[in-house]
Amino acid sequence: MSDLDELIDFKTGRQKRVIYSDPDIYEQELEKIFARSWLFIAHECQIKEPGDFIRTFMGEDEVLVVRQNDGSVKAFLNTCTHRGNRLCKADHGNKKTFVCNYHGWGFGIDGALNGVPLEKEAYYNKLDKDKFGMIEVAQLKSYKGLIFATFDEDAPSLDEYLGDMKWYLDSWLDAMPEGTELIGTAMKVELPVNWKLPVENVSGDGYHLGWAHAGAMTVTTSMSVGGLEVGNTGTDNDEAVSVAGLNGHTVLAALDGQSGYGFYPDPTMAVDYLNANRKTVVDRLGEFRGKKLWGSQLNFTVFPNLQMLPGLNWFRIYHPKGPGKFEMWTWAMVDKEMSDELKQMILDNVSRTFGPAGLFDNDDGDNLQAITEQSRGWRTRKMDVYTNMALGGEHSRDEMPGVVSDGLVCEQNQRYVYRRWLEMMNADSWADVPRYNNLEEAQATEAK
Amino acid sequence: MMKQASEETYLALQRQLFFEARLLSAGDYDAWINLLADDIHYSMDMPQRRFIEERTNERAPKRTPIFDDDMTALKMRIGRYKTGFVWAENPINAIRHIISNVEVFESELEGEFTVYSVIEVHRSRLDSERKRLTAGRKDRWRLSETGYKLVERTAILDDGVVLDSNLNFFF
Repeated sequence: MSDLDELIDFKTGRQKRVIYSDPDIYEQELEKIFARSWLFIAHECQIKEPGDFIRTFMGEDEVLVVRQNDGSVKAFLNTCTHRGNRLCKADHGNKKTFVCNYHGWGFGIDGALNGVPLEKEAYYNKLDKDKFGMIEVAQLKSYKGLIFATFDEDAPSLDEYLGDMKWYLDSWLDAMPEGTELIGTAMKVELPVNWKLPVENVSGDGYHLGWAHAGAMTVTTSMSVGGLEVGNTGTDNDEAVSVAGLNGHTVLAALDGQSGYGFYPDPTMAVDYLNANRKTVVDRLGEFRGKKLWGSQLNFTVFPNLQMLPGLNWFRIYHPKGPGKFEMWTWAMVDKEMSDELKQMILDNVSRTFGPAGLFDNDDGDNLQAITEQSRGWRTRKMDVYTNMALGGEHSRDEMPGVVSDGLVCEQNQRYVYRRWLEMMNADSWADVPRYNNLEEAQATEAK
Repeated sequence: MMKQASEETYLALQRQLFFEARLLSAGDYDAWINLLADDIHYSMDMPQRRFIEERTNERAPKRTPIFDDDMTALKMRIGRYKTGFVWAENPINAIRHIISNVEVFESELEGEFTVYSVIEVHRSRLDSERKRLTAGRKDRWRLSETGYKLVERTAILDDGVVLDSNLNFFF
């Protein structure tokens, strides 16, 4: 057993706290997880015209995502190849050329180095400009509006990486004919927290809703969400599921077709929209997804750092900034077909529930910060933390892919997130990372 | 050119801003809500880092609110604090609302005044968490039979990334 194997026990649901604080482990995460995974970099709607760009991060590496003249998309490291200055300081915009502020080197939107001041006088016209273009990511691919990229040229295709998670993602991204769009710009918050904590929280922790968010639930709840109750006095194991084993990706799903809008004090406009379009969605996705998933409270986690909550309609990525810090970017994502009035209501509700002053979001920061700090002490970092709820509850269901456990209050998904974390940390290359999309495959590939 | 309000009005509204700041720092939201008009619109936006030459670009996305609240939404926020379940605010955190650069102008509406101010919020939380957030505010205050009421507040936070893990307070 390597040292890493002692950090995670997938079968009994245990993690060593040191994974939330150790700088060496964090450095390995940047290399083995963030530099290898397919990471979300932009939504197609954010860069519509040639020259439109978004500045974002892949791990700690800063990236510019740029729409090309031929309509394709390229992503480059946001750094000048001469002396290493940041090329672009704006969050988004439109440019024909990215000019470095230091010496004036100019790069085209295709990344080519086009202009070098004093090229003749100082470089004697001998600079091979072809060798100094902006550095591109290794692979870039779009899935139904979401653009992903990876630094690893040996990474499996995005299609294979997402695996059967696509079946769930489609219940938002492909429910309506015109697909989705982000509205507004990113709401950005920096938190003194290890990046894995919000990921595991949203991946599967329905348990904290009724307690950590008791205040927010009290004032926003208009209909049942997975049977969760203020004060943690209730849960529904029949009409809600936790789904994992999807190549590391996870889903929480209420199965009622409307609870996604349960944390809207007045969800009437959203529920009317669901009723008006239910038939369209059933025609496109079938009975189960159209009636049980679309409109329900769903938590999607695309490993390692992308999460979406259809219904609450937020879309979020986490950028790691060291073992004890990350930046969280949240948008409202909507169906393009929605009315402007409904879109505005959703944007306001995303901001009001999960924005920087969000009624729910403002409950999580202190808890996750304290867990990070309680993993730093000489004694506490040697301690364990547990995700051992509902052990042995994993099963298969014919209607849906993945490994299923009952209810939203269930720690199966967190166990699978840490399983994936360990698999990638232990792997020398992608060839060593197991692939599984159902219980049988998950059990067959379990580390011995 | 906006017309300066009278000195009497200026002093009255500056007093009101300071009084409001003291209520907000004390978390006395029941008293604060009495300073708001029923048609209040309370908003604060995330700032964007954009190149100066592109600030009027038509493709600029919709504004992204941190607050975009009417009276119902504000009462919901206050209602959350009053549940006693907001664990982050127990024990109570120290907070100071510092108001400066106050300017008061007459508006196009009789009895309503445009008030500019700068707000600096100091928070002291947990063991050694010291946070300082600044914002510019543009208000509209209305003189009613029960004193000045806040009708509209548009604040802009100075940070493109919020540097605190919650904003459990008002600006």
